[in-house]
Amino acid sequence: MNENENNFEGVRRLLKLKQHEIPPPGYFPGFSDQVISRIRAGEAGGAQTFTERLESVAPWLVTFLQIFETKPGLIGAVATSLCLLLTIGVVMGERTDNASKTILPTAEFASAGASSASITAPPLVAADSTGIVASTNPATSLQPVSTLFGQPNASLFQSASFAPAR
Amino acid sequence: MTEPAPISEAAASADTLEGDLVKRARRGDLKAYDELVKRYQERIYATIYHMTSNHEDANDLAQESFIKAFQALKAFRGGSSFYTWLYRIAVNKTINFLKQRKHKLHFSLNDLDFNTEHNPDLVALISDKTPHRDAGLAELQNKLNEALHKLSEPHRMVVVLHDVQGVSHDEIAEIMDCNIGTVRSRLFYARQQLQGHLAEYLQ
Repeated sequence: MNENENNFEGVRRLLKLKQHEIPPPGYFPGFSDQVISRIRAGEAGGAQTFTERLESVAPWLVTFLQIFETKPGLIGAVATSLCLLLTIGVVMGERTDNASKTILPTAEFASAGASSASITAPPLVAADSTGIVASTNPATSLQPVSTLFGQPNASLFQSASFAPAR
Repeated sequence: MTEPAPISEAAASADTLEGDLVKRARRGDLKAYDELVKRYQERIYATIYHMTSNHEDANDLAQESFIKAFQALKAFRGGSSFYTWLYRIAVNKTINFLKQRKHKLHFSLNDLDFNTEHNPDLVALISDKTPHRDAGLAELQNKLNEALHKLSEPHRMVVVLHDVQGVSHDEIAEIMDCNIGTVRSRLFYARQQLQGHLAEYLQ
């Protein structure tokens, strides 16, 4: 290390010039007073700023946020990765929905069989006179609603047509 | 065999006094804290000034460092000396400030004191370059600050703390929260860079 010190003797001598740079006369006698009065003003003002409180509670978080201040490009990278995560979350959510829909018809058949077997089972769907189903259960709301005149018999109806008779 | 008893006793009593001042300041005693500020104001200001080369910025940052230290005194566990802990606050504040202000460099240099002209090392560096000694010193001062600002903040900090302030390698490692090898390598690299930038004064 001494060899290094000798190699840079010139630089070290030059740097000594920095020691001769002094603040304006009368600067230091008033310095501590300024600091103390600023502390007093802060105490009278009552409160530390949000950042100051955060610094005392979670200094690691402040350090983390300061990285963003010094490297703005990082904000973009983090924001992009957050957006990607959100998109992946939405896509995964939709896939789960589709999977549950494919399971639904099977569940319907099963429930239909069960309802015919037991008459005492309470009605899951409440339909009013207009035939509108009031239910929040997606499985039951898809079931056919019984009408006032019973199920229409397809054989009794003839399809109407405006085509001239031959 | 010589006994350095008086010096060590003085140092010990100074440590005790400082410990007492810190305890009182932690309890909110502003008189005690005023004493601590007076003790370290010149060193803290000088470190920040040599890093920023701007008196106004150094003044603001030095005041803010002392205010922050007072507010954080409750968190000071005494694992290191108060002086090292205070330095760490000032150094971190300064480096953060410089990173934010990277492209807005503005020198506001302090005047050189009277003794500069009588420093034989410095006079030898400029006397053969210019007949006007004052102009020579001012020019050298400017070049030196420019050269320092070509270094990265951690490299400049190590040079300022060691070669200008006279802080030991161990203490710098503690202040900058790095190992002693890093301090040495940074110092070597920084001096090498400065030697290149200031070659005209070193021939």
